[in-house]
Amino acid sequence: MRILLDHFSKSFGAVKVIEDMNLEIRDGEMLALLGPSGCGKSTTLFSICGIHRVSGGRILFGDNDVTNVPSQLRNVGVVFQSYALYPHMTVRQNIAFPLQVKGLAAADIKQQVSAIAALVHIEELLERRPAQLSGGQQQRVALARALIRKPDVLLLDEPLANLDAKLRLEMRSEIRRLQLETGITAILVTHDQVEAMSMCDRIAIMNAGEIIQIATPSEMYHDPRTEFVAGFLGNPPIAFLKGTAQDGAVLLDKSDIRIPLPGRGRPAGAGRVTLGIRPEDFGPQGDVQIPGTIVFVETQGRENLYDVRLADGGMLRSIQPVRGDLKVGDAVTWAAAGDKIMVFGEDGSRL
Amino acid sequence: MTVTPTSPADAGAGVVQPALGSRTRRLLYGSRTLAWLLLLPGLVMVVLFFLAPVVLTAAFSFTNMSTATGVSGGVYQVAPSSISRLKTALPDLADELSQPRYVIDQAGLDALGQTSVPKPLLDELAAKHMGEVFDNRRDAERMIKTLGGRPSTAVVKQISEAFNRSIVNARFSSKTALFEAIDGLGIKATPEQKETIADNTWTGWVWTTGNFERMFASKDALRTMLNTVFYVAMVLIIFNTAYAMFLAIATHYMPDRTSGFFRSLWLLPRITPPVIYVLMWKWVAWDNGFLSMLLAPFGVAPRNWLLDTGTNAWVFVILINGVVGASMGMLVFASALKAIPQSQFWASEVDGASRWQQIVHILLPQLRWPILFITCYQTLSLLASYDYILLATNGGPGGSTEVWSLAAYHTALFNYAGNLDYGYGAAMALVLVIIGITLALLYLRVFNYRALVSRPIIEH
Repeated sequence: MRILLDHFSKSFGAVKVIEDMNLEIRDGEMLALLGPSGCGKSTTLFSICGIHRVSGGRILFGDNDVTNVPSQLRNVGVVFQSYALYPHMTVRQNIAFPLQVKGLAAADIKQQVSAIAALVHIEELLERRPAQLSGGQQQRVALARALIRKPDVLLLDEPLANLDAKLRLEMRSEIRRLQLETGITAILVTHDQVEAMSMCDRIAIMNAGEIIQIATPSEMYHDPRTEFVAGFLGNPPIAFLKGTAQDGAVLLDKSDIRIPLPGRGRPAGAGRVTLGIRPEDFGPQGDVQIPGTIVFVETQGRENLYDVRLADGGMLRSIQPVRGDLKVGDAVTWAAAGDKIMVFGEDGSRL
Repeated sequence: MTVTPTSPADAGAGVVQPALGSRTRRLLYGSRTLAWLLLLPGLVMVVLFFLAPVVLTAAFSFTNMSTATGVSGGVYQVAPSSISRLKTALPDLADELSQPRYVIDQAGLDALGQTSVPKPLLDELAAKHMGEVFDNRRDAERMIKTLGGRPSTAVVKQISEAFNRSIVNARFSSKTALFEAIDGLGIKATPEQKETIADNTWTGWVWTTGNFERMFASKDALRTMLNTVFYVAMVLIIFNTAYAMFLAIATHYMPDRTSGFFRSLWLLPRITPPVIYVLMWKWVAWDNGFLSMLLAPFGVAPRNWLLDTGTNAWVFVILINGVVGASMGMLVFASALKAIPQSQFWASEVDGASRWQQIVHILLPQLRWPILFITCYQTLSLLASYDYILLATNGGPGGSTEVWSLAAYHTALFNYAGNLDYGYGAAMALVLVIIGITLALLYLRVFNYRALVSRPIIEH
């Protein structure tokens, strides 16, 4: 089901968390609300499921205005960061709870619980209590409970934050599999750009209560709208250089390095700009030569990450296949791919 | 995965070992010994302030200690009361014991030696009749008149009076002394009969199960027990659990400030000294008090609402205890509610549970342990404490609000007649202790305590 936030605002007392947000989540898509802590992404999620009352604007599920519908009647499924399983109930009772409060027949409930348990692979855990489950198993139970009433939208609040690295990887694909299999519209709240990029169809990146950009992961990575977006996505992260633009090139501060500007992003006149170069776009091959000194080498197994300090004190990162001929202190002149260099204006927006 | 706990000894390996003897180290690091050491103060307290009083109460309850017997020893005294008791068992002997006898003995002769009675008369008496016993004055005086010198009637009376020996009201410190006296008076009694006399003339306390026989036969005790059951059940169910739960849940859904205000309000009775708190209720209930004043315009005659009927007295007793008692449950339940993560409330909401379903399915099941605690604690506390009833009605009117613990207090420690029945009071207290322990065990069973404290089986 399509979800629409229409001029949505939310404040707690005098604190305005979200102001005038517009967001559309398409039917059957999985959208990530990505942003740093305190940016309002969880607040948005809780407003969609009705836990928080909306301060202004409307929320639509399909064509229904649910702005003033209590959460009990919204038909949403929510997976909380802490899973929020009921500790006094068995797994079966936990999953059955949404159906039980609806007053469904016991046989009906039993059959649906079995079906959903099979879907999330927890058939053998049904008679246990939450305290007897591992984190990943609890996560699956929470998913089952959220999905059993066939909600219009599945809301996931940092679902992987409490899992260890290996389980996180497993549950990442597991949640995506469930979403695709059920075809449910889903919203994932996360501060982890890897999760957002790997699991979702589109990403809405938020900062300080505002949506900065909505795009597919690949679009957003290659074509970020602002310096914030460029910096948030990508691991290892993008490197920024400050300089002054003049005559189709940028003169880096306190140095004589000139970097010709790509066709796109030439500022109209002279002015301060920030250049963004991703680690994979800086290396031995390229058309814009930039000299520097290796100050740090991070071994990542398949690749090495080099931190290169430029003459002006700026820092660039380069990720390359492992090679043994370089060490800290070596002077190198590597090159950036000119057409991949991103140019941001003084206000952080992409030029 | 299982994690093997590293013992402190392992952790210290490789590090310089502190200069401790192996025995000291074992004492400090051996968790078993240390546990006992840490428990010791608690155990001492339990023994001193719980076990010892219970054992003493149990001991006292099998005695007939009272103001009359005292709590130390006693003597054998053929008091009029003991003779009347003896009459049922040994009517003839009792009669004999109550009558004076005349025994010609050295003591009497010595006493007469100090008087003007002629010496030869006394010598003759000693020579002929020493040791003779006469059942009554007439026989004794007839014998005296046969003596030489024809004593005058006044002298005969003087002599007979000197040999008047009565056991009535005499005190004997031991059984042997009592038996010697009986023999000395020439009263014929078999050893069994003597024992009966000893039992009936003993003024100290004795071991007995009479307290319990008396209790189980007593209509008053039965009524007091029914009163107690009614009182505990009413206060516990209406106020200490149900109303406390209502307050806790109601304040839980309120904003913080409002809930804080209401909770503090309900704490006021508890922090008010009981005497003042009950006095305020009395102001409400007195015949010229608040309630009478309020009802006067409606034509209700002023009266003492607290004590005019048994029913009214009960209403006040339950209210007085309930208003105090509810605050504890409220605090315990409210903090238990706070311990339930907010996300569970949210989750149940989005799962479609109405507020009522949330309370029934999410809140109450998780409050099982606090409810057990309050039920258990308050039952025992209500059973044992009588301070508010003592201050409000003192068991009245006419014993209608007399509960078991108050009755025990009245019996053993304070009553109008002033004859304090320590033994019977202790027996009542012992019954209370037994009921308390039985109930506590029953509660633990009903609430499945073992499951509550069992370890979760966490897998990783």
